[in-house]
Amino acid sequence: MIIYLKAGGELRAKLQPDVDYCTRRVEAEAGLSLRDILAGIGINPAFVAFALKDGDVKRLDYVPSEGDVITLQPPVSGG
Amino acid sequence: MDREGERERYSRQILIPDWNQEKLRRATALIVGLGGLGSASALYLAAAGIGRLRLCDCGRVERSDLNRQVLYEESSIGSLKVEEAGQRLAALNPLVKLEKLNVFLDSHTVGELIKGCQVIVDGLDNLESRFILNQESLKKRIPYIYGAVHGWLGYAGFFHPPLTSCLACLMRPNLSQPEPVPVFGAVPGIIGLVQATEAIKWIQGITPSLLGRLLIYDGRHLTFDLVNVDKNPACPLCPKYKG
Repeated sequence: MIIYLKAGGELRAKLQPDVDYCTRRVEAEAGLSLRDILAGIGINPAFVAFALKDGDVKRLDYVPSEGDVITLQPPVSGG
Repeated sequence: MDREGERERYSRQILIPDWNQEKLRRATALIVGLGGLGSASALYLAAAGIGRLRLCDCGRVERSDLNRQVLYEESSIGSLKVEEAGQRLAALNPLVKLEKLNVFLDSHTVGELIKGCQVIVDGLDNLESRFILNQESLKKRIPYIYGAVHGWLGYAGFFHPPLTSCLACLMRPNLSQPEPVPVFGAVPGIIGLVQATEAIKWIQGITPSLLGRLLIYDGRHLTFDLVNVDKNPACPLCPKYKG
């Protein structure tokens, strides 16, 4: 299964985009959660606050489908 | 200032259809944290004529604050933020009653801090304190206007369960937080003004646009995205306080 991960803010550097400046094409086993997929590409879940798909927030237990485009948003804690 | 002076001060906003200055005058808002976010929201809430501003921060002004914390200036360095902020806001609008609380927010102090206010504006600088504030806002059923920044990126949301999700529906507390947080000063300015706008709308009885949604502002690419934050059935907090 192929999905496309994008990243916001400084998470982009950790994602190592390969499609464009913020997108990485990822081949993952169907049925895996986003958390498992991230672990598989070496991204620590502590660097991802939440994910977005089609304008809705998704948590790391979300199970992506073929062709999903998912944006990872980093934790933002300053004030 | 007499009644005529007060009318003149607010004359441009009173022209806005359905504007209710009296509701604003009777309201109390709490701003927790007088950094970049709190500076922006405090200035505009005071300028708009909110009746009472409760200001909470236990820090002192440092030189490294001055790229974004626009309540302060070079001569403020070393002074208590609540005192400096109080002076600046009183000079801006003497009609606003100011409560200056040099208090550290924790699970012991938060209950007293938020008591009696209509809305909570988040100007905090760490996730732990935000989760404490989120939980207390749930208990007391006071809307919590979330804001946070990092680099070019800013988030803002309006949480008011059971009407909406809560902060713990959106994210977990055990996330990576660098210290110090990099921040371009205009980002908390923009997010703080969005928070002030949403607070004023809520007080006036206008539905906040961020109710159950999150604004993601990326200053690097000038994008503003609004996303839905649905209630998380597995949220460890807000299901306890529903009904």
